[in-house]
Amino acid sequence: MIETLISVKDLTVRFKTDEGLITAVDGVTFDVKPGEILGLVGESGSGKSVTAKSLMLLNADNTVYDPKSSMKLNLHDQSIDILSLKKPQDQMIIRGGAISMIFQEPMASFAPAITIGDQMVEQLKLHSNMPDEKAKEISIEMLERVGIPEAGKRFNQYAFEFSGGMRQRAMIAMALSTKPKLLIADEPTTALDVTIQAQVIELMKELVDEFHMAIIFITHDLGVIAQTADRVAVMYLGNLVETGTVHQVIQQPAHPYTQGLINALPNLEDLDSPLTPVPGDIPSPLERPTGCVFNTRCSLSLGERCEAEVPHNFNVAPGHNVSCHLMEQRMAANE
Amino acid sequence: MAQFIQFALTRAGMAIVTLLMVSLIVFSLMEMVPGNCAERYLAFKNTQGSQITVADIEAEEKRLGLDRPFLVRWGSWVGNVFFKGDFGDSCILRLNINQLLGDKFLLSLGICLTSLLFAYLIAIPVGIISAASKSAWLNGSLRFISYLGLAMPNFLLALMIMLFSTVMFGDSMTGLFSKEYRDAEWSFDRVKDFLSHAWLPVFILGWSATAFALQTVRALMLDETGKLYITAAKARGLFGRKLLWRYPARHALGPIINSLGFDLNRVFNELPIVAVILTLTEAGALLLESLARSNDQQLAGAIIFLLTASIVTLNFVTDIALAIIDPRVRKSVMGG
Ligand SMILES: Nc1ncnc2c1ncn2[C@@H]1O[C@H](COP(=O)(O)OP(=O)(O)OP(=O)(O)O)[C@@H](O)[C@H]1O
Ligand SMILES: [Mg+2]
Repeated sequence: MIETLISVKDLTVRFKTDEGLITAVDGVTFDVKPGEILGLVGESGSGKSVTAKSLMLLNADNTVYDPKSSMKLNLHDQSIDILSLKKPQDQMIIRGGAISMIFQEPMASFAPAITIGDQMVEQLKLHSNMPDEKAKEISIEMLERVGIPEAGKRFNQYAFEFSGGMRQRAMIAMALSTKPKLLIADEPTTALDVTIQAQVIELMKELVDEFHMAIIFITHDLGVIAQTADRVAVMYLGNLVETGTVHQVIQQPAHPYTQGLINALPNLEDLDSPLTPVPGDIPSPLERPTGCVFNTRCSLSLGERCEAEVPHNFNVAPGHNVSCHLMEQRMAANE
Repeated sequence: MAQFIQFALTRAGMAIVTLLMVSLIVFSLMEMVPGNCAERYLAFKNTQGSQITVADIEAEEKRLGLDRPFLVRWGSWVGNVFFKGDFGDSCILRLNINQLLGDKFLLSLGICLTSLLFAYLIAIPVGIISAASKSAWLNGSLRFISYLGLAMPNFLLALMIMLFSTVMFGDSMTGLFSKEYRDAEWSFDRVKDFLSHAWLPVFILGWSATAFALQTVRALMLDETGKLYITAAKARGLFGRKLLWRYPARHALGPIINSLGFDLNRVFNELPIVAVILTLTEAGALLLESLARSNDQQLAGAIIFLLTASIVTLNFVTDIALAIIDPRVRKSVMGG
């Protein structure tokens, strides 16, 4: 049995732009175990998609991966250093082979003028040498498995003939047809209405058990994370500020940013209680604050230390890590 | 398949309705010119020395059927055009328009369509490859050539080539035929002679058309390449040629085909000036002449109608092609 499926260390991603080199992801470290659902949360622009796409080397051509970054994919017979995959043939293992991805806009992720079935068969044949009929059979089975009625007929249809929820199911069917070890779901339910969202999440949880596959589930929505994930990683401006089990992070958030996100959730028990969003806006990646990246918006800032010194990532409880000077002080005081 | 035939029939019906509308407009324009054909004929006879009375004019109007109501006259004009391909007479030149036009319209249309054909044969693959290529050298030189094609007026290019060939070969390369073939019957040698002349206007018109089409294809390709379904296809493991031709190229094809009808119009508009310089006696130049010099409404009407009919036909063909390649067009327009 493999201990960790994905092991990301010090992932630092920069983009060459006209304004210069901008840092979108800064020293991110996390692991994903087989069969585990890792929730990745954070505000818009915090670098969630860039982190996820890095695992499939899908970031745009202007991307620069810092040489100290490392991403390992551990399969039972081999361990793959993702950043060393240069040739497109070699990259197939992380693109639709052992790793698949689904996107926020299922409509836009299907090629509009090719049938759903053709796109599924194409992917299967790309990753194996099965004959057409076999690929078609597997595709229809997958469509049935994700709950698409009349799968045989749907197989020959185009994305625009599907409803939003059905499209996302078809996208999941396609992503899972090659039996990947990791599914990256980048806000897969944001574009769906709440009931459909619940169904899709339920389906994904079932499939995790059935296929013994891990998921990196990206979302803005802490509520969705609470229902779905085993562990949570909170991102802010390219940094992972806190990681832990769902229980730890949601019940005992250690980082002021995570606390802010949780306080910002509307309270359904007490509708009169005021909404308390995290104050201020996320700074532009061109103007990354020095010291702790969150210090410009932190109500608990210690001042000089937070502005000057980058906080360490340290352990508050087994499996619960946080990067915050204040927490470090409090821990030290308690000992 | 039944759906497809229904689609094609609907489109054909729409094309015919469009043509009828166009014919009505063209016919009304022809009618709007003061004086009618009877008066012109007799005015001409008058200059030849005959005495004319009002009764003569009325008799002539009756003979030409000009005393009938407008819609009836339009109907008979349209009927002749659609069923007999007969445009009637030009009352200024007193000649049958079909004779007057002869092969000219078809030759002009042929030149325009050939220019377009070459333009797209070059622009589609080159545009696709240049959009996919990161070579600064390739894209730089392509951009240079197409800016030249877009920026340099066609008449200047025609003049330059004429000047060059006159100085270098002592042959101005004008006309569509050599003298001995101009009015000859069609024969193998006449075709050869025609081709040896026709490549020049095709080249001149084709260059700017290619430059234009190249920009269009490249822009459409870059547009498609930025879309999410391309990232999604990469995420499934596609790469290289398979990715390029099946995804962005295939999806850019629809809008490219869509621009064809518009392009034919553009090329035809550029034809007259090139034709005048190269002294080609083709339809575009004839149109200018009939409008500007002699106010010959019947001839002008016939040419405008033929040109519109060609564009409508081309649009019909491109609609069918679009429906074949794009399921959204096929399924949405057919209401199923
Ligand atoms: N190719 C690129 N060139 C320049 N900057 C980029 C590029 N790709 C992403 N970025 C920048 O990287 C930062 C992180 O983007 P990312 O898409 O990962 O955010 P996100 O957390 O997924 O946000 P959202 O919730 O809106 O999807 C953003 O500021 C974005 O503008
Ligand atoms: Mg994102």
